[in-house]
Amino acid sequence: MTCAEFQKVLPYIIDGGGSEEEQQHLESCHLCSDLVADLRYIAEFAKLLVPMEDPSPRVWTGIEKRLEEEGGRAQPARRSS
Amino acid sequence: MSEQEAIARAQQGDAQCFEALYGLHKRRVYSLCLRMTSNTAEAEDLTQEAFLQLYRKIATFRGESAFSTWLHRLSVNVVLMHLRKKGLPEVSLEETLEPQQEDGPRRDVGTRDNVLAGSIDRVNLERAVESLPPGYRIIFVLHDVEGYEHNEIAEMMGCSIGNSKSQLHKARMKLRDLLKQSKAEKAAGRR
Repeated sequence: MTCAEFQKVLPYIIDGGGSEEEQQHLESCHLCSDLVADLRYIAEFAKLLVPMEDPSPRVWTGIEKRLEEEGGRAQPARRSS
Repeated sequence: MSEQEAIARAQQGDAQCFEALYGLHKRRVYSLCLRMTSNTAEAEDLTQEAFLQLYRKIATFRGESAFSTWLHRLSVNVVLMHLRKKGLPEVSLEETLEPQQEDGPRRDVGTRDNVLAGSIDRVNLERAVESLPPGYRIIFVLHDVEGYEHNEIAEMMGCSIGNSKSQLHKARMKLRDLLKQSKAEKAAGRR
């Protein structure tokens, strides 16, 4: 299997799966294995991007204003008890 | 008061409890909107819209999923609706049908030291994600940052699972290039 062939199917196997031939290529080719390592590293690191910022206070002000404007027209649908 | 109580009271129209829910969830909703749009003003408007929709729909929440999951999904739909109205390509089908030049096999020249492991920090990755084309950024944020599965993304975006995987791969490849570039610039700056 060539690198081109391996990298063509990589989007569909990187998160699991892959044939024996594809696995063998990965184990024997340092270029493709480095590529896969990088992509998996990026994916793992992305999970650490926790929410870090609050919206400015104007967002809540805007919500309050819209709710007042909508007041009589759009009450929250009350849940029947 | 627990979140569950706040939800129940907000469903009955308690404004203070609704405000409490806003306080609990504003950060995550805003961060999602900001990552998907890379624009502070847009993200604030979308956050506002998401909570307005929450206000209108909260009575329909039945507790079948976690409230945060339900709100998160609502927020994603608000952002996607906004992007569709703007006419931005969320997922470009053409890119997956026609081979691009960059689709050739990657033969990165360099030593094994060229791998990224250990060299990324949060700031660099955030900057790189911000500079992704919108279609790539959305898929990457939904899958790798927010944890949606490809079948969920496909349903939300109206594309195939294969397309979602392909776009995600391109997003990660683009990020890899950006991060390597950043790493090289940093190393050059030290010399």
